[in-house]
Amino acid sequence: MADLISYIIRKIILAIPVVVLATLIVFLMLYLTGDPVAQLRSPHSSVEDIQKIREKYGFDQPIIVQYGRFLVNLVHGDLGSSVAQGTTGTSVSSLIVEKLPRTLELMAIGLTISYSLGIPLGVFSALRQNTWKDRSVMVFTLVAYAMPAFWLGILLMLLFSVYLHVLPTEGTVGGFKSLILPAMTLGLGNAALTTRMMRSSMLEVARQDYITQLRSRGLPERDVIFKHAMKNAILPVITVIGLDIGWFVGGAVIVETVFAWPGIGMLITDSITGSDFPTVQGCILVLAFFVILGNLVADILYAFADPRVRLG
Amino acid sequence: MTRIRGRLSDRLLSWRMLGGARQTFVDIFTRGRKNGMVVTGFTIILVVTLLAVLSPWLPVAKPTALSPDLLQAPSSSHWFGTDQLGRDVFSRVLWGARISLVVATLAIVFSLLIGVVMGLTAGYFGGTVDYVIAGTIDLFWTFPAFLLALAFAAALGPSLTNVIIAISISYWAGFARLMRGQALSVRERLFVEASRALGANNRRIMFTHVLPNCIAPLIVWASVGVADAITIESSLSFLGAGTQPPTPSWGYMLHSGLDALHEAPWISTFPGVVLLITVLGFNLLGDGLRDVLDPRMKGLRL
Repeated sequence: MADLISYIIRKIILAIPVVVLATLIVFLMLYLTGDPVAQLRSPHSSVEDIQKIREKYGFDQPIIVQYGRFLVNLVHGDLGSSVAQGTTGTSVSSLIVEKLPRTLELMAIGLTISYSLGIPLGVFSALRQNTWKDRSVMVFTLVAYAMPAFWLGILLMLLFSVYLHVLPTEGTVGGFKSLILPAMTLGLGNAALTTRMMRSSMLEVARQDYITQLRSRGLPERDVIFKHAMKNAILPVITVIGLDIGWFVGGAVIVETVFAWPGIGMLITDSITGSDFPTVQGCILVLAFFVILGNLVADILYAFADPRVRLG
Repeated sequence: MTRIRGRLSDRLLSWRMLGGARQTFVDIFTRGRKNGMVVTGFTIILVVTLLAVLSPWLPVAKPTALSPDLLQAPSSSHWFGTDQLGRDVFSRVLWGARISLVVATLAIVFSLLIGVVMGLTAGYFGGTVDYVIAGTIDLFWTFPAFLLALAFAAALGPSLTNVIIAISISYWAGFARLMRGQALSVRERLFVEASRALGANNRRIMFTHVLPNCIAPLIVWASVGVADAITIESSLSFLGAGTQPPTPSWGYMLHSGLDALHEAPWISTFPGVVLLITVLGFNLLGDGLRDVLDPRMKGLRL
């Protein structure tokens, strides 16, 4: 247990520079735009307002001081205020807090779909390697992986809402029913990746000596696969949970826009079209933290699943 | 005459110098021809590229030409139908291919350059240089390229050039990781030591010995990378952070078709089909080339 705790602490310490870099990139984004003040004021702001912004962010001071100020504000949960038309003056953090649960909900269901589809399908495909069943699963994954999330969303919308009229097109009016299509869109692309990973890992494990030995001892095939082979075969899938979460965070932005799902992703898109730069900045930062957190969780999960990792 | 011959032999000599690289290209042409995925992928890419290049001379309407036939269903005069402004969707898809292919290819070329230089420098020199660069590579690798590209595109403002820049600075980490790993292993090989003993300097060793030995995985990655870049570009345009109208772009077309999904589903579906086929083409080529260039990986792919 002690080794596990020290492993977790080591991983947390290693995540700190990543967090710092993320804040630095988001901070510097403002300077990529040319004139930072122009990005932070609303089109109708007066000379005094502009002066206030200058003072708040200290644009007359050296850049390192400005970055320090940005960090101090960040620690206090102050991400600046929105400059978009309907929400001018509202603090970005309150906007994000309002939308965040929606995105989390979507990602949770999406992840569930992705793993509960991908893992069994991968095992199935590996057990029937080189048969037509395996081939059709592989073709499915190839297409599902190449399919851009927004187009998949549009197709599902066409099928289930426009032609079959069973699910609502967009928004949240349908309650849980509204969540099904966006979550499916988000989950399917990643399920393809999980399937491939599970399949190749299962194939590799099934070739190992200990599996042959178990079979030669006369263990039922079901036990060989599910009790013994699965334990090792699932490890690579766990290592990429971190990458998956990154994929989901990016995918959520697109899927929410397609289905007008009022989460962080939708907020980013609206802010980009409405030139609400402080909100874009805040959302990107929050999403980046999610990715870092996801990677951390994946590392820890992996150490739980595979003792060799934490000892190494 | 002698001068020309001199130059030619110089060229042949440098061609021979490429060593591992030449073998890679020979492998691609001889073995790739027999690989179904390579052939299919290459054919798709060739057809899409030809259509894109030739679109100004093909007998289709201009992509921005308005007509009174609004929201017409697909017919013999408008293969993919028309959109809300009466523009021919087929023509817009063709012109959109030009944008997608140019943006994706340029973005991957630039990120390949950044990645190769960073990875090669880190892996070859090691030590503090490696520590700093490898750290940066890992940080960029942690974040999904799409999210980074979205952040940069939002900051730089929507335009064609900015999308290329945004994708380039978001995607290079993969190439750099690959290059660094290869450089770390190749620099320990005997022929590198031999060449150093013969007095070759670092730059020469890096570019004539280390780099050519990494060509195979780089080509595989670049092919898959173009597919990713096409997806990222269209996603950015879909979100309004990429190419701006009236430039015909697949992502934007899909987005504008969303409003008319009930009356005119073809506006959103056809650009998507072509987008999917193109992405599939580059993925197939990449997968096939991996099998061809590294037979050990065959069947065990991700």
